[in-house]
Amino acid sequence: MPQQPTIDQHLLHRLAGLARLRIEPDQEPELQRRLQAIVAAFADLPTDGEADTDGLPLPLRPDTASTPPGIDVVLTNAAQVADGQFVVPRVLDA
Amino acid sequence: MSASLAGTAADLATRIRRGDCSAREVTAACLERIAAHDGGLRAFVGVAAERALRAADRIDDRRARGEALGALAGVPIAWKDNLLVEGELATAGSRILEGFRAPYTATALARLERADAVLLGRTNLDEFGMGSSTESSAHGPTRNPVAPHLVPGGSSGGSAAAVAAGFCPIAIGSDTGGSVRQPASFCGVTGLKPGYGRVSRFGLIAYASSLDCVGAIARTAEDLALWLDAVAGRDDADPTTLPDAPPVFDRVVAGRDLRGLRVLAPREWHADGIDGEVLRRTEQARSQLAALGAAVGEGRLPAARHAVKAYYLLATGEAASNLARYDGVHFGPRRAAAGIDPTTATRTWGFGREVQLRILLGTFALSYGYSEQFHDAAERARAALRADFARAFERCDLVVAPTSPIPPFPIGETETDPLRRYLVDALTVPASLAGLPALSLPCGTTADGRPIGLQLIAPAGKEDVLLRAAHVFQLATTHHLARPIA
Repeated sequence: MPQQPTIDQHLLHRLAGLARLRIEPDQEPELQRRLQAIVAAFADLPTDGEADTDGLPLPLRPDTASTPPGIDVVLTNAAQVADGQFVVPRVLDA
Repeated sequence: MSASLAGTAADLATRIRRGDCSAREVTAACLERIAAHDGGLRAFVGVAAERALRAADRIDDRRARGEALGALAGVPIAWKDNLLVEGELATAGSRILEGFRAPYTATALARLERADAVLLGRTNLDEFGMGSSTESSAHGPTRNPVAPHLVPGGSSGGSAAAVAAGFCPIAIGSDTGGSVRQPASFCGVTGLKPGYGRVSRFGLIAYASSLDCVGAIARTAEDLALWLDAVAGRDDADPTTLPDAPPVFDRVVAGRDLRGLRVLAPREWHADGIDGEVLRRTEQARSQLAALGAAVGEGRLPAARHAVKAYYLLATGEAASNLARYDGVHFGPRRAAAGIDPTTATRTWGFGREVQLRILLGTFALSYGYSEQFHDAAERARAALRADFARAFERCDLVVAPTSPIPPFPIGETETDPLRRYLVDALTVPASLAGLPALSLPCGTTADGRPIGLQLIAPAGKEDVLLRAAHVFQLATTHHLARPIA
């Protein structure tokens, strides 16, 4: 039988960190329970057989020059703009 | 109902081309009907009234100048709010796209405009297409025109409700695991998911890119054939689109009987876990297919028993990746919160509960130590299902099944256990995983009047066979003619 992983608090925190989501402490038990139920039910997929993805088409876009939308258009929906550029939040401590 | 809105989209376009009525008259009638009835239903999250009337006037002017008009001349069409129309809002039913205005138009909608359709407005959906009831939308739920206490299905619930309420003859949706077919079934209308790659996804806000398909909802298969011919075909902006295929409309409407058509009903899909009334109605529909000349037999699709698991692992993995772009930098508002970075603060604020759950599940399925047992196993299950369908289509032309194992349920009573909720998709996800064209058409109701849909699934590239069979069924039946709002 395939092993059933346990969604413990440590794993939940790791997943939330990877997904850039914050889980409030009072929501953790419920979320843990839900994810555990799904993972337990999905753990019995057959491990034999081949995923024949080689035969699937993997088309590429033609490598041709085109005119992209102007900078103004691209920046229209930005959260914050300065001097025609996206303002990116600080991710490292100063 | 206004006389100008009666009949099919095909009839409407013919009348407008002939000058029996104007495009403005028809568009104005749709807008009036929406104003009168959508307050209680909320099929639309935004009506593009001025844009639509301007487009209608341009069509009328061109007709007045003697120019030839397209196949969808003056036909008002709504679009699901996860497709882009330049200059219009596009929210995908999520707070995280609050205020987002599309910088370009989706190919599937640009081609409708090229065929002289009138784009009417944006319809409600489950957030990012993740749901089966349209209750997870940041805009609030949509109600089913058949009975307002019921959900319209989802995720294209707004589009299905718009057609069922008679707001427009065609509404565009998207179908990742059943999001066109299931709401069509719940609202008593007809919904088509073309095969993967038949219609461009350029300008469709991505949920799960290997499964997402642009589809449409209408009253009749005839109108869906008209729609498909207008939008299908190669698009360099979406490298996964298939080469152009011959148009289907003439072959579809020429259908008069089903002689020579072989239909297979998988035993697994007509058994335990399916509501009794759904079983009875779909079995009656199978008998009607046989009475129309089809050879209906039973068969098996054993790998389908893993379809829901495979679907949710693959779809959520792709969603976790696709939704990484909502980082509080490129699109939508940015949020701040004490002690966490702005990206985490924005995503935690902007995504609803179901979307967050699916992102976490997808992150798990793809993460180190688990991807082989979950994501890779799901890929193998998908390959096994494709092989099952290939074997089945060696001895049949269509697979038939109920669209949903249950009829529409009341708003607010959606199962809170996610596992049981996901199992409701058991009959629609197999065609999605295999990339096959599939359709839902009305085949009756429960004793208390809730619509039931029949699903047909065709081999890749056989949308014409699918639509023709549905058209013949609709010539012989009246289920699709019911109008819940006079």
